[in-house]
Amino acid sequence: MTSTPEGRLRLTLLGGFLGSGKTTWLRHQLHEKAFGRVHVIVNEAADVPVDDALLGAADHMTLLAGGCVCCKGQQDLLNVLLDLCDDRSGLADRSTRIENIVLETSGLADPAAILQLIQSHPILVRQIVVTQTIVIVDAVHAKAQLQQEALGRRQIEAADRLILTKTDSATAQDTAQLCASLEAIAPGAIQTAAIFGSPLVLQESAPDVLPFAMPDLSDSDMHPIIACQLNLGDKPDWTAFTVWLSALLHARGDQIVRVKGVVGTPAGRLLLQTVRRTVQSPEILPDTVTPVESDNTIAVIGRGFTQDQLSDSLAHFSA
Amino acid sequence: MCSACGYPAAPGHWTEAGAATPHDRLRDRFRRVQVVQKALNGSGIKVHDGGIIPGIQVILAGGAQTIVPDLEALWGEIEKRSGRIFDPLAL
Repeated sequence: MTSTPEGRLRLTLLGGFLGSGKTTWLRHQLHEKAFGRVHVIVNEAADVPVDDALLGAADHMTLLAGGCVCCKGQQDLLNVLLDLCDDRSGLADRSTRIENIVLETSGLADPAAILQLIQSHPILVRQIVVTQTIVIVDAVHAKAQLQQEALGRRQIEAADRLILTKTDSATAQDTAQLCASLEAIAPGAIQTAAIFGSPLVLQESAPDVLPFAMPDLSDSDMHPIIACQLNLGDKPDWTAFTVWLSALLHARGDQIVRVKGVVGTPAGRLLLQTVRRTVQSPEILPDTVTPVESDNTIAVIGRGFTQDQLSDSLAHFSA
Repeated sequence: MCSACGYPAAPGHWTEAGAATPHDRLRDRFRRVQVVQKALNGSGIKVHDGGIIPGIQVILAGGAQTIVPDLEALWGEIEKRSGRIFDPLAL
């Protein structure tokens, strides 16, 4: 995986609750060289770091200890990212430039807040594109975390990819129930599993497995999360669509957890991604010879609306 | 930076990513205010973009004018001025 067509550096956010196995998973990926020329940034909320000792395999690593970068340590993170961008553009030889940044967040971080931080920075937004948010889920403890911690749920909601760990210590039934519950919180996220970082095939869960009960943790979360698909047609009207989406996010940003899809425009195929109110500056994807079927279909995940409401409202703008 | 308003001619808001050429960009700007105006019909608020000054001009019912850099700021401004959130699902 090299840098993006427009030359921005790729950043992978690695999140997950405290003790879910983020570092273990990352260590294995680094050993396998899954991220190519990578710079790893490890953030720990505690002042006494341990993770850096575990990640000996990384060629380049920065440790940010003593403050979670989604809140207290924001400036530290910005400084590190700016330095990385500076160093990278200073290298004339492209083959030695770093291709990826992996940011391992602290277990208390909200990935959406970090995304927002990068997106709202005038320099970083042009230098870095956050390509995916991976969230590690501890198969043994996730149930309790999801039932009790609003933060645990926010982390899952922000994920593109969920990796279940410690499934060998949980019963098959519990794992199936957890998968169903994760599906309910993050309907769009890909679910996989790993033991000590090595990928593991997750058993296809039976359709009759029901998610466990999740008590309401805040007043606004009364409705269940649903995933809707919006078809923009063969020739999408980007302008009308973005007027509509920007108004929607402004009005309902708390309820719209995620919007994701590829839209064909005169500027190319644009990958559009949002997490709550934060919109990633669209990434231009390479053109394909044959049209991709999933293009121009936008997934909207959230609560408090219906599929018909969305389509009707959008139609009102595009007409 | 625009010497008239002080907004930097900066990276462009995500809503402006669909245009590849200056022509597209200008056409998009005209179309953008058209779409916004249609959505705001009946609210007494007018929006204008002449294509020269960066940003979108907002003209309120009482005649007061303001200028916003992008759509995100526009919805915030409308909320501030009219006292209610413009919700596209409630149209």
